[in-house]
Amino acid sequence: MQARSRMVTALREFFLSRGYLEVDTPALAPSLIPESCLEVFATEYVHPTEKGRLLYLIPSPEIWMKKVIAATGRSVFQLCKAWRNAESISRIHNPEFTMLEYYGVGLTSEDNIGLTEELFDALADEKTPPHARPPFRVMSMREAFSEFARADLDALAEPESMRAACRERGLLVASDASWDDAFNVLFLSLVEPALPQDRPLVLDRYPAGIECLAADIPGTMYKERWELYVDGIEIANCFTEMANPEAVRRYFSSQSTKKKAALVPHRIDDSYASIFDHFPPCSGVALGFERLMMVLLGKRSIADVLLFPFEAFFG
Amino acid sequence: MVRGGDIGIGTCLLINGTPHIVVEREFVNPGKGAAFARVKAKNLKNGNVITQTIKTADFVEDAQVDLVDCQYQYGDGEVFHFMNNENFDQFEIPVAGHEDRAPYLKEGETYTIVMWEGEPIDIKIPYKMVFTVAESENYIRGDTVSGATKPVTTETGLVVRVPLFIKQGEKILVNTETNEYVERVNE
Repeated sequence: MQARSRMVTALREFFLSRGYLEVDTPALAPSLIPESCLEVFATEYVHPTEKGRLLYLIPSPEIWMKKVIAATGRSVFQLCKAWRNAESISRIHNPEFTMLEYYGVGLTSEDNIGLTEELFDALADEKTPPHARPPFRVMSMREAFSEFARADLDALAEPESMRAACRERGLLVASDASWDDAFNVLFLSLVEPALPQDRPLVLDRYPAGIECLAADIPGTMYKERWELYVDGIEIANCFTEMANPEAVRRYFSSQSTKKKAALVPHRIDDSYASIFDHFPPCSGVALGFERLMMVLLGKRSIADVLLFPFEAFFG
Repeated sequence: MVRGGDIGIGTCLLINGTPHIVVEREFVNPGKGAAFARVKAKNLKNGNVITQTIKTADFVEDAQVDLVDCQYQYGDGEVFHFMNNENFDQFEIPVAGHEDRAPYLKEGETYTIVMWEGEPIDIKIPYKMVFTVAESENYIRGDTVSGATKPVTTETGLVVRVPLFIKQGEKILVNTETNEYVERVNE
């Protein structure tokens, strides 16, 4: 806990000294953006006399922070609680966790690699193992597929070619699997377990076939999106933020359709898309703070960096 | 068929026509992706371990296996000899591919055998088993560090770390998943 306190103080100094504004946004909200891959926690506001209202714990503060950026044009950061339902409680998962998000106006996802390296330097101490220290290794998703799955990602743009690539490697894949599900079968079976762990790894240029709010790289099937792996654990996700309001609307519409299968349905506020009508170029990083503590302190489990981990609640 | 989210350690999957037993499983949630179960599954015919990733909402084919109680008789280095406790049929299981089972096999003991299409393909080891200490070196007097342990070898060749007071010929209860000593067994 002393380490946590020291790191929180250091990261505040880190961002404030670089001109970032610290913001505080709601944890409990009446509607959320649709993200089909996330399940949320629902609760209820009980009014003494009138009808109550359903409320949801945020799975990420992203959209609120983007509202602040749209209104002020400033770079912002926030350290806050976030909640994700229906994920297993494991070495790297706790349903309640701390999210660090930082958005730099005028930055790209590439700029954020350097900034995140500086952040690691600012937070590391003598206990930090060498494999968790900068400089980061940068590898594109295309290179990783070529090296560890012996597959040319450029040639697997269609769902059927991606499914065939799975089958050729002896992997089970549903005959009607979507492109991104088949991609994940190949990625999670052959690529992710083989990623080098001697240094932090930025896995760069995610395929556009995985829908998200990252900007497309023109003329390619990739996006300006990276994920940071340390010790084989996914620590952070970064986009150059999508700035085209029409593309954002298409994303929300597609995700709303997929979201209908959610275990915990929630209200969706479509007006969120209008934020992007006047949105400055920027790049944001979402980082799991407990996972960062784990790797910087050389701990094996998220329970080692929480005072009251969920696993202790249930024995 | 079995749902990806219901696959656990010990589930038998039919992968490309061959039965595989799941030996490790973790749930993974790739960024902006669906939830998957990533499993390591051992090919029950050749012992090779492969990684498969199955969407938790998808269904995959499981191997329809029978579990039969059988007595272990002896091993000759090439095969393990068993007898079916119900019909007294005698059969063999090759050591190759099942080497890791050898240190847990006690002559005359009953084990659950996994049968697939009438063929024995795996030997289930009970979670806890009693072994006799066959070899134990005397500990050095004066070593009174609390919690100190020493390695001993059981009659089946299994090496277990035990407290210093355990002597040769005594019986011990062992967790067979971790090979950890549980307690001394008094008769």
